[in-house]
Amino acid sequence: MPPSDIVSPDVQWDLSVGPGGAATLVLRGHLDTNTTPGAWVALDKELRGRGISRLEIEAGKLASCDSAGLALLYELGTGSMTPGATARVTGLGPELQHLLRSFSTEDYQALQAHDPIHPTFIEEVGAKTHAWLGDLRQQVEFIGEVTADLVVSFFYPRRMRWREVFRVFENAGVNALPIVALLTFLVGMVIAFEAAQPLEQLGAQIFVANLLGLTMTKELGPVMASIMLAGRSGSAFAAELGTMKVNEELNALQTMGLSPVQFLIVQRVLAGILLTPVLTVFAIYSGIFGGIPVLLGLGFPLKMVLEQIEAGLSYSDLAEGMFKSVVFGGIVASVSCLRGLQTGEGPRAVGDSTTRSVVSSILLIILTDAIFAALTYAMK
Amino acid sequence: MSDDPAHLIVARDLTIGYGNRIVLDRVNFTVRRGEVFTILGASGSGKSTLLKHLIGLYRPVSGEVLISGENLVEADGADRLRILRKFGVLYQGAALFGSMNTVENVRLPLDEFTELSEVAKDLIALSKLRLVGLESAATRMPADLSGGMQKRAGIARAIVLDPCILFLDEPSAGLDPITSADLDALIKELAHGLGMTFVVVTHELASIFTIADRAIVLDPHTRSIVAEGPPAYLREHATQPWVRQFLNRQTS
Repeated sequence: MPPSDIVSPDVQWDLSVGPGGAATLVLRGHLDTNTTPGAWVALDKELRGRGISRLEIEAGKLASCDSAGLALLYELGTGSMTPGATARVTGLGPELQHLLRSFSTEDYQALQAHDPIHPTFIEEVGAKTHAWLGDLRQQVEFIGEVTADLVVSFFYPRRMRWREVFRVFENAGVNALPIVALLTFLVGMVIAFEAAQPLEQLGAQIFVANLLGLTMTKELGPVMASIMLAGRSGSAFAAELGTMKVNEELNALQTMGLSPVQFLIVQRVLAGILLTPVLTVFAIYSGIFGGIPVLLGLGFPLKMVLEQIEAGLSYSDLAEGMFKSVVFGGIVASVSCLRGLQTGEGPRAVGDSTTRSVVSSILLIILTDAIFAALTYAMK
Repeated sequence: MSDDPAHLIVARDLTIGYGNRIVLDRVNFTVRRGEVFTILGASGSGKSTLLKHLIGLYRPVSGEVLISGENLVEADGADRLRILRKFGVLYQGAALFGSMNTVENVRLPLDEFTELSEVAKDLIALSKLRLVGLESAATRMPADLSGGMQKRAGIARAIVLDPCILFLDEPSAGLDPITSADLDALIKELAHGLGMTFVVVTHELASIFTIADRAIVLDPHTRSIVAEGPPAYLREHATQPWVRQFLNRQTS
């Protein structure tokens, strides 16, 4: 009889191989989650290549056995550690026998054979294009629906839920003022600093004031204000509507005969359109205020700086900035709402739609801004 | 009392609540080893809140909960982990992780807490899925499973580390009568076949009389336990009329 092989003080076994390869494996001790991994490896090594033709596993002397132990007994019982041999497990109590019956090689093989479908490159391109076209179609339909509802609200102002408009106005507008002011103030300051150095070489440092006025009014004012709106409030719109969709609140509205666009979105888009010019004016002022200390530091008197800024600006510049801000505001509010409505199912859906709202908004702001720049250049 | 090994869970002078609101005031009860213990009560009586205190998610206002004589809320590090390993929990919404398929959900505790080989972990997870009748749904995502299947997968995950206690929060809520009866049969099988102890929060009358060995009834007005005993006995003999009404499904 071979000596008893002790792997862990908690589990022991005796293997006796008789003539003709008939073997008995007697297990003792605690075969549990802690002892099984070691016992598994050791038994596999010990049993393989011993020329065993019939294996009887005597489990009746085990003091305890949990699911991990049962998995080992099952593996021994299928004969996978003693290829070619017949094996059986004896001595288990009825409870453990019942549990042992729930193990299945077929289930394991089915799991191993399961191969998630990997689409080919062409399928993937096709699916993405299809999804993109579908999204484009949804966007066009959505813009149409929102515009129609805005026109209706213009003629029937009583149908508009003004309380909601004001709530959005406060949240997305008044509460956003400090951060918009701080950021554009710093941007104005940076522009003034950066422009002062090259202009100094030309002896034209006073033109920093013109540059500041023009960039803030025509470009950075509206762009910064609407990017801030997208990051701060557009994402909130998408998350709010997405959560409402997940909670079936949007379905509830539809079955009451209320259109989610009419009930929830028109207010947000209107607020976005009215709000962004206000934020933009604020952004322009704080940007200019950010640059003025730099100019004062360069030795120009305040009166001169202000006159220079005024001389460099015309009303058409302001009109251009304001017009852009209206368009950007409409884009941010409606795209964010659309992304919210498009929220899918599952725990990541709301996060995804929030991300998509910010990315789409910023992309569209920059794209529209580029189109504006090209158009105004061509018209001059 | 708590030194008796037959008393698996002991709640002693337990007061629970949110902020200033007391939900249950100095309640005492004991869950015995191997029984199916149900917590009953009207909606809003604090059943689920009590369950969350039993499993140590919330800290009680005063009093203590002992699991095999140990206080989970006070324990930390390795002690806490050791006590947590004694029980599994099925949450109301099953709480399967949406980013993993069913068998990965069930395997997760094995992956995190054992040194077993991949084969062993797969075999164990699949055996638990077979035990709850979900072997054919192993590779499906939780979102593609029906409510009843999600709950069964949740039970498979809860029992994968062989806990001695299983806490179930409204296991039959939102299920059709047949699925609900299947789930009751599974609970009975696990309780009587494997000797597991169950603590079940429910107000499904059919379930209560099928599975429960003993029940406590919570009263939101007195914030106390108004009845304790086998449900069939309480239905006829509870001192409080509304407990009899509750268990006989009569209108007030």
